[in-house]
Amino acid sequence: MELLQTLINGVLTGLVYGVVALSFVVIYRASRIVNLAQGQVVMASAFFVWLFVLALEWPLWAGLPAALGASIALGALIERAVFRRLIGQPVFSVVMASIGLLILIQGAAQLVFGAQTRPFPQILPAGAWQVGPLLLNKALLIGALLTLAVGEALHRFFTHTRAGLRLAAVAEDHVTALSLGVSVRQATSIAWMLGTALAMLAAVILLSGTVLGLQAAEIGLRALPVALLGGLESVRGASLAGVLVGVGEALASRFLDPITAGAASLVFPYVLMILVLLLRPQGLFGWRKIERL
Amino acid sequence: MSASLPSGVHFSSHAAERALVRTGPQRLWLAAFLLACVAMPWVGGDYLLGVLTLAGVTLVAVLGLQITVGLAGQLNLGQSAFVGVGAFVAAAGAGQGWSLWLCIPAAAFAAGVVSVLFGLPAVRIKGFYLALTTIAAQIMFPIVMIRLPDRWFGGTAGLPVDPPVVFGVAADTPRAIYWLVLAVVALAFLGAANLGRSRAGRAFRAMRDNDIASSVIGVDLARTKILAFFAGAFYAGISGALYAYYVRYVSTDQFTLWLSVWYVGMLIVGGLHTPLGAVLGVLAITALHEGVHAIGAKALVLLSGISNVSGGTVFALTNVVLGGVIVLMLLFEPLGLAHRWALLKAAYRIWPYPRG
Repeated sequence: MELLQTLINGVLTGLVYGVVALSFVVIYRASRIVNLAQGQVVMASAFFVWLFVLALEWPLWAGLPAALGASIALGALIERAVFRRLIGQPVFSVVMASIGLLILIQGAAQLVFGAQTRPFPQILPAGAWQVGPLLLNKALLIGALLTLAVGEALHRFFTHTRAGLRLAAVAEDHVTALSLGVSVRQATSIAWMLGTALAMLAAVILLSGTVLGLQAAEIGLRALPVALLGGLESVRGASLAGVLVGVGEALASRFLDPITAGAASLVFPYVLMILVLLLRPQGLFGWRKIERL
Repeated sequence: MSASLPSGVHFSSHAAERALVRTGPQRLWLAAFLLACVAMPWVGGDYLLGVLTLAGVTLVAVLGLQITVGLAGQLNLGQSAFVGVGAFVAAAGAGQGWSLWLCIPAAAFAAGVVSVLFGLPAVRIKGFYLALTTIAAQIMFPIVMIRLPDRWFGGTAGLPVDPPVVFGVAADTPRAIYWLVLAVVALAFLGAANLGRSRAGRAFRAMRDNDIASSVIGVDLARTKILAFFAGAFYAGISGALYAYYVRYVSTDQFTLWLSVWYVGMLIVGGLHTPLGAVLGVLAITALHEGVHAIGAKALVLLSGISNVSGGTVFALTNVVLGGVIVLMLLFEPLGLAHRWALLKAAYRIWPYPRG
């Protein structure tokens, strides 16, 4: 029974990783940009929520949409100012620009908000439901259901709508997409708005009722192995990979951590990431690319 | 750009044309520059000495990064972890009473071997995916390091380091360490400049420009990628050993992801494609960092009225400036300062004719 509880906790935490991974995937899927600063975007959204809901004391129904708007505006700004200009540039430039943004946003957040932690509003209900002998964390459970629903909706959008398929063409190859009359600019800007909206959702699920600090950004690099395991092009894969990583982490923390002084669960996602890259670089459901000279 | 030479200079052999230093005035300038570097401690103050020593230590790591990233085109965001491996190995070796001549190579090889472990996926993947394995190396480094048995690497407490003994003289003054670092930097630069002209360097460049095409003409991609990783981390290990000797204390929180990002930032600002770019980048970012330290902190006090500007604020401000500079350089001058320098030299040589 205790094992079952461990597994359930793993699944729920894993789906939090899943939603962050989803924001990686959405941006990649529609613009071929891996935004390593995604964790910083999540942190920035969280600060917006704090700003509108706690600092300005707006009610939730006004504060949350305002924060969502601010997050989307941030995404649009990043896309317009940086990544639009890098369309057609080598992958190296794009990755490095995201690294530049990573330290830029991290530094800016520290300058504006300071390094201290602050409370984060209770948006999802606190506490846990008792199901038989098991405890289900309410916030995480609602977050998990939201993640699954959003993931499925996005999957539909990407595979069954004209606009979504157009984004997929951009992910395949910028030049081919351009020559077929697909606007790469439009695709990247949609991708970034979707990606930052998801980051905001992730921030709410992750932090609801806890504390907010600069270390909230660490979720970005924690979710990276998840996005990779699921496959960077696969929207559905992100949630499943999240569950796998969450369960693996929970099991590692239960059985291996006592032997390794807590290292196993911390290291597990990254070891997994290296194994994925070594054995199946495209992830579980990613696209396999064939390259020609 | 560097192809344009002063008028009247001709070469009668291939070797002379490919030489690093090709004309008399170049030799003179180089000698003057080296002399100025050696004489610096008598002229500059303690502050400048400290800044330049640390810049030299950093430069060795960035030169290594230039090989992996600039020459071979393999993204590496874990260089500071490899520097850390070198620093810990050197510190542990020095603790065992090993001499400098054993510690530095041991640190270099240890860092190289660890990097190969993380470079192995490079056999299957390329481009930014490799950045991910190196990020993994960076994140795993402190987690693993502090949990290793305390008597290996000191655990959470870190390791103190005794000053090294060079040719029977204990290098325990800031000046002595500066000269030691200077000598290693000179060797490292020479090595990096020559690597680019060697068989391995040409293979690196071919792989960077088009990996599939280079494999068709006989470059063993897997081997070359791992070699590029090893070479870059080898430099990182040397840098780590120097760092251990300079700071005399190593702990895991000195080798963060931020430092790795700064290294790459320095390389981008300076220019990826030549070792000179690494030098310019390190100098520019070091100057920027010190400038932010001196001016930025004062400006913050004036602007916001907060009187206690902590180290954290300066760190954040530097991050903002460096992040902004990285993005701006990528957008507007992707070839870096080294390219500007080459343009400047060419313009000087063909003056008064306009640049072509």
